[in-house]
Order: sequence, then structure tokens, then C-alpha cells
Amino acid sequence: MARNEELYNAILKGDRNTVQSIFQTAIDENRDVNELLDFSMIPAMREMGERFSRNEIYVPEMLIAARAMQAGLTLIEPILAQNNHKSLGTIAVGTVKGDLHDIGKNLVVIMLKGAGYDVIDMGTNCGIEKYDNAVSAGAQIVMCSALLTTTMTYMEQVVNHFKNNDTIKVVIGGAPVTQKYADSIGAHGYGRDANEAVKIVEKLTGAIA
Amino acid sequence: MKHSNLASLAKEQYRLKKRLVAPLMGMPGLKMINSTIKLGQQNFRIHYEAIKALADLYQPDIVFPLMDLSVEANAIGRYTLFPLDDTATLPHVTFNLSQVKILPKIDITADTRALGYAKVTALLRRNIVSKILKGVYVTGPYTLAALILGAEETARSVILDSQGLHALLDYTTKVIENYTELLIESGAQIVCILEPSASMLSSSHFEEFSGNYVKQISALCAVHKVDTVYHVCGNTTHLIKSMAESGVSGLSLDSPDSGVNLPQAITEVPEDVVIIGNINPVGKILTGSPFEVKEEVNELLESVDQFPNFILSTGCDLPKNTPIENIEAFMKAGREYRISAF
Repeated sequence: MARNEELYNAILKGDRNTVQSIFQTAIDENRDVNELLDFSMIPAMREMGERFSRNEIYVPEMLIAARAMQAGLTLIEPILAQNNHKSLGTIAVGTVKGDLHDIGKNLVVIMLKGAGYDVIDMGTNCGIEKYDNAVSAGAQIVMCSALLTTTMTYMEQVVNHFKNNDTIKVVIGGAPVTQKYADSIGAHGYGRDANEAVKIVEKLTGAIA
Repeated sequence: MKHSNLASLAKEQYRLKKRLVAPLMGMPGLKMINSTIKLGQQNFRIHYEAIKALADLYQPDIVFPLMDLSVEANAIGRYTLFPLDDTATLPHVTFNLSQVKILPKIDITADTRALGYAKVTALLRRNIVSKILKGVYVTGPYTLAALILGAEETARSVILDSQGLHALLDYTTKVIENYTELLIESGAQIVCILEPSASMLSSSHFEEFSGNYVKQISALCAVHKVDTVYHVCGNTTHLIKSMAESGVSGLSLDSPDSGVNLPQAITEVPEDVVIIGNINPVGKILTGSPFEVKEEVNELLESVDQFPNFILSTGCDLPKNTPIENIEAFMKAGREYRISAF
């Protein structure tokens, strides 16, 4: 399938209006929106993620691209649901108890959606109960984010809570969090940034080797 | 005009083959006096006693108060939460850039908590030996904007509404200058500008939306012959030059775990700018042994041995439950190290 260059570039530039216009036209003309999603929008968001990991772009540019992508997703989500678009899995994402900083978490949410996952956005200040509710709703992976050194320690409680449940994986991330810390508390994965977080999820769900 | 007493002091120590040692620590003092963070951030006497306890025990070269990013935002009337034993925080309240003009034009130097922090500064200046410099914290202009507008909206506005964001930054800078003058009048000798939210910007955006405003604050401090330190958490590798060009006399940088390479950073700043850092505050000093802390400090000091413009510190504020014996190991290792470069 060919890439729609206009859509691809609109995501890179964060041009929300163009993204909406392309999807609206496709919907009006009864064209296959999956093709636009899979061959243009997701690759564009992946490219933004790679640029972010290489420090070529920063959070504002990522947020603008994510906003453009969300505008497209909002238009096509009802159609995807109708067509039984296959999800790669269900992931729950939230900031840990006591932490209200959600900018990183929001980037992970949009990147996961872009990669083809169903996402349960648990929001901020998530105690064990919220994680349990997300698992009850079908989450296979729970992701904990923290910005503060004082709140990141709650991640250990989440890891311990699911320690005896082999079907649930815990992935952590956030500015003060390191691979060393993730290893020390026994987390199943660590994402240095939103892009890497998605790659870890893809590995854990078997979407990539 | 730049005031850089810090660089002169660091060089003086270097000639004596020593280093200035100044960890960013306030919270462990509350543990020492058996108090909570909430009380420390609201009761100036408790706050002062916590910092005095740390200063008396460890005799650092600079004392810093409790790190608290809520002072200015709370003083202009933003909704603030005070958890029982955690730092004050601001839940997001809907705000947009068209509302900047209705933000209160009030004198925050009459705010009770701002006055409390000024009182702590005055008490420290009066009661702690003069050779220990008295530092204070103010919130950075971009970070205060993010506390008002929301971090995500502020980051988006960098691209989508730069004019509106500049209007908000003009406002936040005036508020911070107002508070800075109060702290200087109270005896502050070093003003440390906390700008964690700006670490997520590119270097050009950082310069436009943080550095240019920090220049105004550092110029104000220079008039009073007070040093300024720019503290940005996270990986600031791409921001070092912009930070150094903002007229400040010191850059306080986060730990190697965040991606900062301190020896590399020093080569990027002029000699009259000191680099302050960067032991990980939640690494070995929090969870390791005193021996491991000593090793980590020695390794850092050896890596910057050839540079006079360096002050040994932590990459960010030490958590309240940092073991006392590890802080002792940090201070001892810093004090005992001798420069071998000449």
C-alpha cells in the first residue's frame, strides 16, 4: 500500500486541520481509513518517536504531532470499532499515587494508540485499586509513570502487587526512573521515553521479536 | 553585568587543592528534628530549625532551604495542596492564555508563606556562621507559567501561541523578581532559579522561553551583588550553552543517570560560570552504603579534577529519608578529596 505523503507530513508538522480534512474526505468517500492509519499516520508517529529518542525534536513538537494524530483517531475510532479493527492488546497507563504530572504519561497513551493498542488511560494519582480495575477491564500490561523522586517509590508496590500474577506485566518510566531502578524493583520493563515505552510493550506483547 | 562570587570562591578552594561542598538538602533536616514536610513548608521556625540542624552538623559551604515550587504560585492565588508529609503541589486548574490579563497584580512579598521563606533566610543569615553562604530558591519563569497554565498546554503554546506565552512569562518574571527582591533584602547571597519544566524544550525554545527571562532575574541579582544559579532537572546536555549565556554564575545539573555528562558540561561554559552537581539524590546516597557513596563522590571529583569552576553537590534535592550516615559520607568524601591536577 502507498503512503499518503500529505497525511504523513501533516502529522510530522502537527497540522491538525489537514489531518482532519484528509480523514473526513476519506470517510465521506467511503474509502478504507485503515489504510491511512496503518501506512501513513502510524509510520509518521513512529518517525516522530524516533526523532524524539534521537533528541532531534522535543516535547512541544511531540505534543503537537500527538494532537494532530488524536484529531484523526477521534474521527475514525467509531469506524474502526464497527470494522472490528484488530487491537494488538490492552494497556493501562497512569501516573503513580501522589504524582499529578501527566505530560509523559499522555505521550505514552497517544503513542500506544498510534501503534495499534487499546489504551485504558487511568489518569493521575493511581493507587493499587485503579490498577486492579484496569486489569479487571482487560489490561495485560500496566504502565506506571512518575516525575517525582518522592512518588516513584510507589512503583515497587505496584510491581509487588502483581508479582504472583503471571499474566500481568508492569512497565515503568518517568524522568527520575532508570533501568537500574526498574531492575531493582523487579519491573518487567522500563521505557526511557515514550517511544521506547512503546517498543517495550511491543516486545512484551509479542508484536515484535 | 554578571556577579560571579561563586566562581572566585571555587577557584580559591581549587588553589588550596580543595572543593566547595554544597549538597541540595533541606528535607533531611526535617527528619532530624522529627517534623513533617507540611509543617516545614508552613511554619518558618520549624523550617529554620531543620536547615540549622543540617548546617550545624555538616557545615556545608552553602545552605539551601526546603525546595518548594509552590511558593510563588500559591502566593498569586493558585490552588495548592499541602500533603501531610510531601512537598506542596498544584493540581491542574483550567486556565488559558487569554486569561493572563486577569491574573492578580498583587505584591506577593505580603504573602504569608513568601514572608515565612524570607524569615527563614533572615534567621539563617543571622544565626549561621558567615563563612556558610545562604542560598534561596525561586521558581523559574517557564516553570511558574507551567504551574499556572499546565505543563502540557505550556509546551504546546511554545509552538501554537508564542505571543500569548510570552505575555504569561512577562507576568511570571515580574512575580519572581518581586519575590527575589524580598529574599535578597532578607539576606540571600545566592538565588537558585528552579526551572525543571524547561528541560523538555529544544535549545532555541529554551533560550526564548526561559533563558531570556532568567537573564532579567540574574541582572536584578547582579545589581545587588548576589549570585544566581540556574537549576534544571533532567537531561540538559543540549541546554548547557543557553543556560550559561543567561547571565547566571552557576549551573546546577542533574545526575549522570539523567544523561548529564558533567566533565563535558564544564568544557562548554566560561570559567566564570561554576558547574554544580551532580550525585544522584535517589541513587546510592538514598539506597546504598556509606562506602558506595564515598566511591561515587571520589569518582565524580576525579572526573572533574582539572576544572577549577566546580562545586560538589547533588543533582537535585535530597529526599527526606536519605540516611544520615550517607550524607556524612558525601560530606567527608568531598572534604577529604585533594586536587591532583597540579
